[in-house]
Amino acid sequence: MNAHHKTDTELKLELQQVEAAKQNPARFDVLYDKYYKSIFVFVHRRTGNEDLSADIVSQVFLKALINIRKYEYKGVPFSAWLFRIAFNEINMYFRKNNAGRVVSLDQGGIMTIMAEVQEEDHSEAQQRMMKALKEMGEEDTQLIELRFFEKRSFAEVGNIVGITENNAKVKVYRILEKIKKIMGNNR
Amino acid sequence: MSDLKFNIDQPDLPEDRINKHKDFKKLMYNYQSATKPLYKTPLYKNKKVFLIILLILLVMFVIVEVIEKEETPAPANTQQPK
Repeated sequence: MNAHHKTDTELKLELQQVEAAKQNPARFDVLYDKYYKSIFVFVHRRTGNEDLSADIVSQVFLKALINIRKYEYKGVPFSAWLFRIAFNEINMYFRKNNAGRVVSLDQGGIMTIMAEVQEEDHSEAQQRMMKALKEMGEEDTQLIELRFFEKRSFAEVGNIVGITENNAKVKVYRILEKIKKIMGNNR
Repeated sequence: MSDLKFNIDQPDLPEDRINKHKDFKKLMYNYQSATKPLYKTPLYKNKKVFLIILLILLVMFVIVEVIEKEETPAPANTQQPK
């Protein structure tokens, strides 16, 4: 089940766990156990390095714990807030260190993009698509990654990047248009 | 052109490898260090604060010295003209 799709009871229980952690930081252990793996995977897909991911993840949870009193429930799971912190931490790391980012792709996601840009899925077209991704800005690639390779809803994408659901939708379709154009030029 | 490296169909790390890095005690320790109020940390353990305080005291000392020197009247010339 997608982390964003939780029942009201689950969301209520989670909110109680957050409130408990606000009162006593030691109670944060429940949320830490619950989301450690998904945050680690999220970071590792973007760094491709286990130790670096561990460092970033520890920063993510530390920041979350320090700022948990500022957390406000907005009808989405607590993980949305954690993913957003992780997203910012990863970006901060790459900006500071000027290091090359990793984009984790899978055949399913590639096929979906190919269908969206109305290209036939063969290796030559895939090469052109990757070239197009490289030619685009980092922000665009991140949106494509969240939407097509992690299969997140527009609401989730918006939550992580810090934009509205509608804005995420518009941006993703603009990026697909851009990919289509670049792929056409590289034919 | 952005500096991107593509990983295609690479499986996620196995759970035991991820759990190896999981350490809630360490998180709590880091949290306590990060949120401990400054006044609860012994001065000798915080080099930066120690140096800043030392610098402030030094500047204050110099200012007081200068003010005192200005306030002390210069000794009158007691020599009589011949």
